[in-house]
Amino acid sequence: MNDIAVRVDGVSKSFRLYHERNQTIKAAIMRRRTSVHEDFWALRDVTFNVPRGSTFGLIGSNGSGKSTLLKCLANIYYPNTGTITHNGKIAAMLEVGSGFHSELSGRENIFLNGSILGMSKKEVLSKYDEIVEFSGVEQFIDQPVKNYSSGMYVRLGFAIAINVNPDILIVDEVLAVGDAEFQEKCVGKFDELKMAGKTVILVSHSMEAVETMCDQAAWLSHGELKAVGEARSTISAYLDSLDSAGS
Amino acid sequence: MRYLKEILSSRELLLNLTLREIRGKYKRTIFGQLWSLANPLALMLIYTFVFGFIFRITPAPGDPSGLDVFALWLLCGLLPWTFFANVVSQGLNSLVANATLIQKVSFKRIVLPLSLVGAAGYNWLFEMVVLVVALSIIGAFVLPWLPLLLVIMLLLMVFAAGVALMLSIANVYFRDTQYFLSIILQMWLYLTPIIYPLSLVQEQSKRIGGLFGSPITIEGIFTVNPMVHFVEVFRNLLYDNRWPGLSEWLVCTAWAAGALVVGVIVFRRNERRLAEVL
Repeated sequence: MNDIAVRVDGVSKSFRLYHERNQTIKAAIMRRRTSVHEDFWALRDVTFNVPRGSTFGLIGSNGSGKSTLLKCLANIYYPNTGTITHNGKIAAMLEVGSGFHSELSGRENIFLNGSILGMSKKEVLSKYDEIVEFSGVEQFIDQPVKNYSSGMYVRLGFAIAINVNPDILIVDEVLAVGDAEFQEKCVGKFDELKMAGKTVILVSHSMEAVETMCDQAAWLSHGELKAVGEARSTISAYLDSLDSAGS
Repeated sequence: MRYLKEILSSRELLLNLTLREIRGKYKRTIFGQLWSLANPLALMLIYTFVFGFIFRITPAPGDPSGLDVFALWLLCGLLPWTFFANVVSQGLNSLVANATLIQKVSFKRIVLPLSLVGAAGYNWLFEMVVLVVALSIIGAFVLPWLPLLLVIMLLLMVFAAGVALMLSIANVYFRDTQYFLSIILQMWLYLTPIIYPLSLVQEQSKRIGGLFGSPITIEGIFTVNPMVHFVEVFRNLLYDNRWPGLSEWLVCTAWAAGALVVGVIVFRRNERRLAEVL
């Protein structure tokens, strides 16, 4: 039991597909409805376990439900049925730098963003130097972030998020930030997390990245779980399905 | 109760978001925090000119303070009103304005509207300090009433927070709410005895008597408006320097508690769906 970090059990999630959407009071009163919709199931009865200390990849084509599942894991969406249980503190990096205030300095934003991501002031203080160093923006830390280059912006956001120090980290395709040097730093950081026995769940379209980083993977297609298990075999099953569909 | 505990656990985030609002608001302005005084001062000047000088509205002198300055009498009601209007209109927008954050990060959503209450409260406190100093210079003895002033300020904050919570959710589903609100707030301002004394309403109400032969009077309908009671308490404490009467306190407390409870319930019911419907 204790070697499972996240247990996803029969999770289904539907969205409303609106044929017409009219979010006005007039529509609500005159026609007694605001929309005509049908349910679209983005996830259907997905069940798998993420072992503790593993790096777990979610793969699949566009629109397969990966991001929806990630958002369910991150407590942003709530599944219609099924449960997700996690053992340990969870943090999600779905977008870096969300919640930055452009007029505030890098320093102020570290504290602001840290607390949005669930860190206490004490934790931010103890991690502060590490965050600044990792981001590589020491020189500009007292400048408002609106003057940052997009690379600096993203690096600072990433540095904060990676230092939240969760037991389980959820990452959505954000590995592709910064220059080659920064990428290398990121990979190093992920290795560090792995050594420390942390669990990482990531979504990526780069099979290369998934293959090198992940030891386990799950393949989603149209909201259904096709395969789960050892990364290499899951990836080849996915690639095979693409080939056979293509030929 | 458990929900309150959860809110309390994110108080650090609440504080940081409040600071974000306060620090970000007057960044890159020359006058900075002084801008928060500009709006009420401009309103004071124009209302004093129109209603004090041209219409000749003469509120009774403060009893027992003996004050007789229209501009100060006006501000005692106007500052609480502008605070309330600010909280409600900014709070209403807080969820829609932070849509991307809500869709990307998991945190207690309620801190978004509440942080605006905190930021507006900070500005309001600043304005009230200036008002109390001005009143004291003119000769009012406000000092002993300061503790009670803080209590009624807190009650108005709670009331405004409750209304803002409800409207912030309503605005997610119906974007009409924000346009509707600006009309409502304008009417609400004139239906509250801020730029004219309540005594004028009472006089007219007595003259007409029960409406359509019923025991319902204009004053009766008028005083359903919670802001009537809040403004009365503020004027009693600040301008008249007297105890406002227990019934006024009870009415204000009841409105504040009611608004907060309904606001929190409405918010809680919809909180989880926000990321999807925004």
